[in-house]
Amino acid sequence: MDIDKGISEEPRRAAGVSPIDFRLDPASGVPTYLQLVHQVEHALRLGYLKPGDQLPKVRDVVAALAINPNTVLKAYKDLEGKGLAAGRPGQGTFIQATLSQVALPELSGLRRSLFGWLVDADTAGLDEDGVVALFTSVLRDFYKRRGGQADRGVASGETEGVA
Amino acid sequence: MNVIEASGLGRRYGSTWALRDCTVAIPAGHVAALVGPNGAGKTTLLNLAAGLAAPSAGDVTVLGGRPAGSPMALDGIAFVAQDTPMYKNLSARDMLHLTRNLNRRFDQQYAESRLGELGIPLKRKAGKLSGGQQAQLALTLALARRPRLLVLDEPMAMLDPVARHDFMASVMMAMAADGVSVVLSSHVLAELERVADYLILMSRGRVQLAGEVDDLLASHHLLTGPAAEADRYAERLSVVHARRGEAQAHLLVRTTAADPVPPGWEAHPVGLEELALAYLREPAAAALAGSRPDRARRRALASETGRQTEVSK
Amino acid sequence: MTALSVAARPEEDASLRPVPWQRMGWVTWRQHRATLAWVIVFLGALAVAMWLAGRQLHSAYATALAACQPPVHSLACPGATIAFDGTNGFLGNGFLLQAVPVLIGAFAGAPVLARELETGTFRYAWTQAFGRWRWTLAKLVPLAVALAAVAGVFSLVFDWYYQPYFVAANQNLSLTEYTPFFPGLFDLRGIGFAAWTLVAFAIGALAGTLIRRVVPAIAATLVAYTGLAFAAGTWLRPAYMTPVVTSSVNVPGSAWVMSQWWTKGGKFAFSGWPSARLLNKYCPAGPVGVGPGGKPKAVGLAECLTPHGYTQWTSYQPASRFWPFQWIEGGWLLVLSALLIAVTVWLVRRRAT
Repeated sequence: MDIDKGISEEPRRAAGVSPIDFRLDPASGVPTYLQLVHQVEHALRLGYLKPGDQLPKVRDVVAALAINPNTVLKAYKDLEGKGLAAGRPGQGTFIQATLSQVALPELSGLRRSLFGWLVDADTAGLDEDGVVALFTSVLRDFYKRRGGQADRGVASGETEGVA
Repeated sequence: MNVIEASGLGRRYGSTWALRDCTVAIPAGHVAALVGPNGAGKTTLLNLAAGLAAPSAGDVTVLGGRPAGSPMALDGIAFVAQDTPMYKNLSARDMLHLTRNLNRRFDQQYAESRLGELGIPLKRKAGKLSGGQQAQLALTLALARRPRLLVLDEPMAMLDPVARHDFMASVMMAMAADGVSVVLSSHVLAELERVADYLILMSRGRVQLAGEVDDLLASHHLLTGPAAEADRYAERLSVVHARRGEAQAHLLVRTTAADPVPPGWEAHPVGLEELALAYLREPAAAALAGSRPDRARRRALASETGRQTEVSK
Repeated sequence: MTALSVAARPEEDASLRPVPWQRMGWVTWRQHRATLAWVIVFLGALAVAMWLAGRQLHSAYATALAACQPPVHSLACPGATIAFDGTNGFLGNGFLLQAVPVLIGAFAGAPVLARELETGTFRYAWTQAFGRWRWTLAKLVPLAVALAAVAGVFSLVFDWYYQPYFVAANQNLSLTEYTPFFPGLFDLRGIGFAAWTLVAFAIGALAGTLIRRVVPAIAATLVAYTGLAFAAGTWLRPAYMTPVVTSSVNVPGSAWVMSQWWTKGGKFAFSGWPSARLLNKYCPAGPVGVGPGGKPKAVGLAECLTPHGYTQWTSYQPASRFWPFQWIEGGWLLVLSALLIAVTVWLVRRRAT
């Protein structure tokens, strides 16, 4: 995945205040730290977070969600490992880069080929749940072969579909 | 440093052993959850660590080797017992004064501001506070002592969901701010999942499972596959708990990263609650580093193959 | 797995100084000020009642004294004497006052530890840095001293009340005179009241530790104290000093008579009262006169028996031994109290819950 460096930095909000706030879905089956990571990535994609913005302080996250501070640290370390965030000693953790934006023409091309595939799957007799199961399984295999981060983000799909 | 280290620890009341053969080493900087049904020995273990009871067998040290109950241990541990005992006739301010006089360190300012934030009037008698307020007062007194280790015995049993959330948030904030280690017991696992990073599972006075949550979850998987093959694989794998339908079976197994998934079977990760329930349902199963896993495994398997099948919905 | 590093504590050294003893002063006061208050109120009320009654007694005594002086011996004497003898409400009810030390000691002493154990607050108190055995000691000793001191102060009123009964001159004036060793009086006067209150408190504290429930501990304290007081009065107190033995018939009325017996010709004849046969032989008319309590005066017996070779012997403790006996009894009660409190602290230190 390509990572673009942010070019311009918007005027910062008041020091110590983060643009985003975390929420927790305790029943989703997704590990807590992963939920935090996903929320940061999602906020980046939607534009709520820009490079230079500060992620919520560990203390504030803990106070709001009543979770283990080690979990927050783990999530922030994960983001650091991906190059999305960087910690500044004594100040907090700040966004360093954005997720890659896939160019618009490429995006519509992907949509079209996916739609075509779905038509084939439907013709073959696969219903919606079957499509999801198949897709999830192939997705997992793809990233496994690609190496690293094998179960990233797929955990939620794996607990479904168990009869 | 290990905040609590027990070796062969046991405690007997009359002829009943409330705790037996307990060998654990809880590392510092974690939130350790003691989980088990009522009567499992959780309170006994915590009492022994806090110095309220003396061992009948074995020994227990705290905070890096200090004998439990010694002045050095008492100084570093803040214990909040079940039902948060309080002197009912004393006001909250009196309780602060009392705790300040009985300890070396006491952060009066922190305590007062915390009580102010929580809306607990200093003048009110402790007995007139609600259950949640009493628990918060007890926690405030404990945290104001600036301990190294906070020990909580079923602290949230009497609390409503909002109070529970606030209580846990306070504990976690203290951990984040001061580096306090936490050991708490509960028989409700669901609310510990997002808080605990070290788990001790207890049943009938013995420790069944102990370890970092991440390690435990990484070393257990749920295998789903044909029921007909279940017995064959059960002999080769370390099965903790099995559920069988007519055609499909689920095996919760203890694996290493290298163990391959049998062909035709699916492997799913396991959640904390599912893991805990599986072990609690199999009293013979135990998974401790340094215990006798083979014997435990064989015992577990023997009970597996001889068991009636459970019909899965 | 990242874990938060534990903050370094500057106070970490191998030998931690214990939390200073005087910190417990406020703790003991705050938790037990109500107890001290009700003890003072209770004793205060009792003292006021005794003072009011005592003024009556003292004025009756003064009247009788004035009326019955030997040179004057006015007609008012018998009446005044009867009036004085009749004003003895607290004397007759002195046995009720016996209950005061044990009530104070039981209700003040037993709850100190029993309430903590019963309500579970020991799980708070004994996990604080102060330490459980020091906490126990720092509570029991000041409370014991305070209660003993309060009791001692109030017993001055008792001393003053009973004072008319112990004047030596009373015998000559045929006014009621009592021995200071009178059961029910000895342990209320001097330092006896304070000492018995102290030991009751110590028994209560130990009972509370052993029994762990307030009400049963109070009951056990009452029982144990009663046994101790009975044993002390019956067996211990008579033996503090060897009794004086005399053949004189003029044993003062203030003496504590242990026993009386008669010998004839150097050999033991009988003790107490002569047989009917002897009486008929030597004292056909019966003894003369009636003494206190309605018993026939031994003097009369002596008159008819002595000419026949009988000698009466009396063993007694003279009234002058009152204060030595008080010190002896106070002494062993103090030692016993200290021992009981030490055992209590030792139990707290050792016993697991």
